[in-house]
Amino acid sequence: MSNKHVHETNPKRTVIVMVIFVAVIVAGLLSLKTPRLTYVLTPEQTLALVTGGEGCVHPYQLVPVLNGTVDTVILIDIRNKFEFGKGHIKGAENISAYDLTNEENIARLKEFKKNGMAVVLYGNTQLEANGPWMVFRQLGFDNVMLLLGGYRYYALHKHNLAATKGDKSYLPGMADFNYAEVAK
Amino acid sequence: MNKNYLFLSLLMILLAGGLLLLPDRTNYSQIPPEDLLWDIIQPTRYVTTEQVAKMIIEQDPTLELIDVRDADAFKAFSLPNAVNIPLDSLLSPNYSDYLGIEDMNAVFYANDDMLADQAWVIAKRLNYSGIYVMKGGLNCWIKTIIQPAPPPETASLDAFDLYDFRKGASIYFTGKTITAPKSDNKSKVIVRRKKKTKATAGGC
Repeated sequence: MSNKHVHETNPKRTVIVMVIFVAVIVAGLLSLKTPRLTYVLTPEQTLALVTGGEGCVHPYQLVPVLNGTVDTVILIDIRNKFEFGKGHIKGAENISAYDLTNEENIARLKEFKKNGMAVVLYGNTQLEANGPWMVFRQLGFDNVMLLLGGYRYYALHKHNLAATKGDKSYLPGMADFNYAEVAK
Repeated sequence: MNKNYLFLSLLMILLAGGLLLLPDRTNYSQIPPEDLLWDIIQPTRYVTTEQVAKMIIEQDPTLELIDVRDADAFKAFSLPNAVNIPLDSLLSPNYSDYLGIEDMNAVFYANDDMLADQAWVIAKRLNYSGIYVMKGGLNCWIKTIIQPAPPPETASLDAFDLYDFRKGASIYFTGKTITAPKSDNKSKVIVRRKKKTKATAGGC
């Protein structure tokens, strides 16, 4: 009797403790929150993506999409309905940036990715769609592209998009001045 | 050995397997993607070149200008007291001390908005607060602060206030006076403009 542990003198108690223990762990695992959206790219990978200049579509590359020879590209206008109503790229679909992460839109984007469709996001300017494009790239949608020049550049050149090949004016990051010279 | 103990230890090993189901933990804090997109859609991250100029002139101690262009461009020209963090080394440990300083307003800028905006998105995901983007970048800085154009005669009083500010700022930053195009003094028209209480907004 002297050496006997409580488990041995009272086996029922052992079972009770065990049941509680298991119940707590199982409850913990079940209540684990699985976030709806998770980042697939690390911040470092995202940085490499944006500095590498990948994932962009030049305006002239829309030509085969607009004349129907390529049908694996979905154009998404991320501006609001009002802006969309004023004018948009032919065949584009309007999903305002506010609604992009809705459950149904995420489901559709997954569907597009599965079917090998590319998605081109555009706003009035490249800048407007840059953030949403970066978010979707970070979520692992590597089929999501960003339209350089945005809608404004397209609208100016829509009658002769093919001729804009080689134009550098829509590329971002250009210095318009020799700053050191001008700001002396 | 007591059978009970054998059973218990097996159960523990089984439960420990549950750890495999735990989500990956990152060694940095980040905000959920939905929140990131929400913050991106808001234009609150943009500050105008005038706001930046005003903070520089007033020697605002909370202003931290971050030039995200490459080192050569930074050497050739930069805003006063800016630090250079080229975009591709934004996450390098050498520069991690520059971000997330309490009560500091870090303003990213580049030639235009694009690089600065990309730096902002990445920093925002990593939950840094007090970060901004100078709207229009250095191209806008030159157009509005260094070489401001006078507003048309019919412009509002606000526009003239803004132009006065820009002229003053230009002299502050370049040491030169603005050579405004000569106006013909043939007919002086006195235009009474309604004074508005709105602060000068500026921008490109």
